[in-house]
Amino acid sequence: MPLVFFYVLVVLLGILSMGFQLLASRLLNPYFGSSLIVWAWLISTFLAAFSIGSMLGGWISNAPAAQRERAQWITGALAVASLAFTAFFGRVVLGQIEVAFTELTTGLLVACLGLFFLPVTMLACFGPQCVQYLASRGTPPGKASGLVYGVSTLGNIAGVMLTAFVLIPHLPVSTLLYLWLGVALVNLSCLIFLLRSSSFVSSP
Amino acid sequence: MKSFRCLCFLGWFATAAAQAAPSDYVEDYDTLYNNLTVEKTGSVVELRARSRAGEYLESAVDLADPLRLVVPYTRTLFAAGFLQAEPKNVLMIGLGGAGFHRVFVHAFPDARLQSVELDPKVFELCRTRLDFKPTAKTPVAVMDGRLFVKRNREQWDWLILDAFRGGFVPPHLKTQEFYRECAARVSERGVFVTNLHQDTALYAADLKTIQSVFPQVVLFETKGRGNIVVCAVKYRSPDMGVAANWAALEKGNSKLAARIDLSALADERIAIPTEAVAKAQVLTDDFSPVEFLDASKANNTKKR
Repeated sequence: MPLVFFYVLVVLLGILSMGFQLLASRLLNPYFGSSLIVWAWLISTFLAAFSIGSMLGGWISNAPAAQRERAQWITGALAVASLAFTAFFGRVVLGQIEVAFTELTTGLLVACLGLFFLPVTMLACFGPQCVQYLASRGTPPGKASGLVYGVSTLGNIAGVMLTAFVLIPHLPVSTLLYLWLGVALVNLSCLIFLLRSSSFVSSP
Repeated sequence: MKSFRCLCFLGWFATAAAQAAPSDYVEDYDTLYNNLTVEKTGSVVELRARSRAGEYLESAVDLADPLRLVVPYTRTLFAAGFLQAEPKNVLMIGLGGAGFHRVFVHAFPDARLQSVELDPKVFELCRTRLDFKPTAKTPVAVMDGRLFVKRNREQWDWLILDAFRGGFVPPHLKTQEFYRECAARVSERGVFVTNLHQDTALYAADLKTIQSVFPQVVLFETKGRGNIVVCAVKYRSPDMGVAANWAALEKGNSKLAARIDLSALADERIAIPTEAVAKAQVLTDDFSPVEFLDASKANNTKKR
């Protein structure tokens, strides 16, 4: 499998993560406003998801082959299922949260955790596994790590700019959430296939 | 000759001193949501927000004559009185410097004017620099305007939406869903009022969105400033497009008539730009590219 295809998947992973943050802000605005408080909760949720996802991904990449493969399918399926939940039921859930929690910060915490934390955590799981994939093909670990996170961050930038300047001005948020779901399904399927096809060994 | 020179010098000195009175000041504040400048020149205090197009005049008050409406469009907001002449309960989203409030309280002393302001620093500066003193009849809530409309169940005779953040318009305050929420809070014979800027693509989209919620819409233009004040009502009859059906505000409210030329205000009424509105798109929570439609906006309220 050409390495360029691998990097395309890594870029897409970055686009999916950070572009989703802008879509999330558009989803939250009608229910919680667009204040600094909303952005603080949203950014913190995404950073927490990146943090936990990276640690989980690190653990998965070092697990025995059978366990690793199972974990890849589970995390991929959870990413797609949680994105589907947000796309299909996001507004309904936000409407319910708004009524149930009159206190703004509590409502925001529940909304961010319920709708955005899981998909981003599951997407972030694949970062360390991509590093492991490159390392197993002979790239020194430090270089592999730098390459994956560098390319993924370029994807983050592309995700933000594309979503803000091209997608949101031309398409409804609901359509974009379905688009995210479709791209995530294809991207994660390819990534899992790629990671499975490699014969990297787990470290002790 | 010598005494004449001396008099000239004294005259020049007095003029210069008057121009830069020791009480004049310029203050800058970086707040949670804005970069604000408060400038006092003589008795006039301006509250400006930095924006893309330079500084945007949010509000101004003449401390020597607080009933003088310094920012022209705030006068046009009183066109709401043609459609509902006896407001008892009024909601204003966007406090600014509360220039409108002083004339409203003077003209409608028995009414209650509730304000909602997102930026706590704006509220603080309004009190400390622009000399606004909230009372039981003019309470202020510091929170997002849409959240207030959703959570507060009161009915308002005038519901005024005048929320800007510098030159920036919050997208969630421009959607059909939000206007529906506003319509649900406007009393049966009440009026929804909003301040729009006409030299942007957002204007037609905004009008179309408002028209999709309110059956009757009447526009008033603040001449030469680019501001359009939209007055919209929930009922279909009588036809408020016919000026003969408007309330006789001039006779009914002498205090307001003393401060504002109401016949000139009635003459500010303009037609709805039907062609542009027909081409525009209704803005919804799902699709509201407000920032992009608004991108070509010029600063309309900078001049006095």
